[in-house]
Amino acid sequence: MQESVPQIIEILRVLDDRQVKFIIVGGVCAVLHGAPITTFDLDLVHSRAPDNLNCLVKALIDLDAYYRGHLKRIKPDIESLASPGHHLLMTRFGPLDLLGTIEKNLGYANLIGHSEEIQIENLQLRILSLEHLIEIKEQTFREKDRLILPVLKHTLQEREKNKKK
Amino acid sequence: MENPPHLILHSQKDPPAYSEDGVDLTLIRWMLSLTPTERLNVLQQNMLSIVRLKHAGIRAADY
Repeated sequence: MQESVPQIIEILRVLDDRQVKFIIVGGVCAVLHGAPITTFDLDLVHSRAPDNLNCLVKALIDLDAYYRGHLKRIKPDIESLASPGHHLLMTRFGPLDLLGTIEKNLGYANLIGHSEEIQIENLQLRILSLEHLIEIKEQTFREKDRLILPVLKHTLQEREKNKKK
Repeated sequence: MENPPHLILHSQKDPPAYSEDGVDLTLIRWMLSLTPTERLNVLQQNMLSIVRLKHAGIRAADY
């Protein structure tokens, strides 16, 4: 069986088309900051404001999203997406993890001040700052998060050196 | 005869290739030289390579 490769840009494009507000966190965020790591899932913290949840559900319909790891195809709805929990989804472009909150119950409203805007192709996207990503990874006890910490810290150091040049 | 460029070893004048804790700094510097779009493309290519290798491994195990 041929396994397809996640198409991150296509997921982001659908969310952008539907004007969904979100912040990219996790491994993809680290890569976009310049960290040489590999990941297979796209982690996003979405705004849980009612207007945004409406846009998000429409985008998830466009993406044919359903919860991974269930025998039945359970589709995410507004009520569940309004929760602070994690929604591990599969879409027609690959896995998508929607996180109501991350470490220490931080949601979109808490993180927006620690994010920055970047451009990928014609999309204006928000990613968590590298400094804050490191701070969050330092607070976690998950081994896989702690493993990439040295890479993130050296990426930040090298970036700071480049700025001084 | 001069060595072709790919055979030139890391000189002491160059910034260190590895950090003291073993992180490859040359990869970080290379990634930082790219735009965010290019970095995402690198990630996509890595994913593709891993999936291809995985399938090649499965096919090899079948023989």
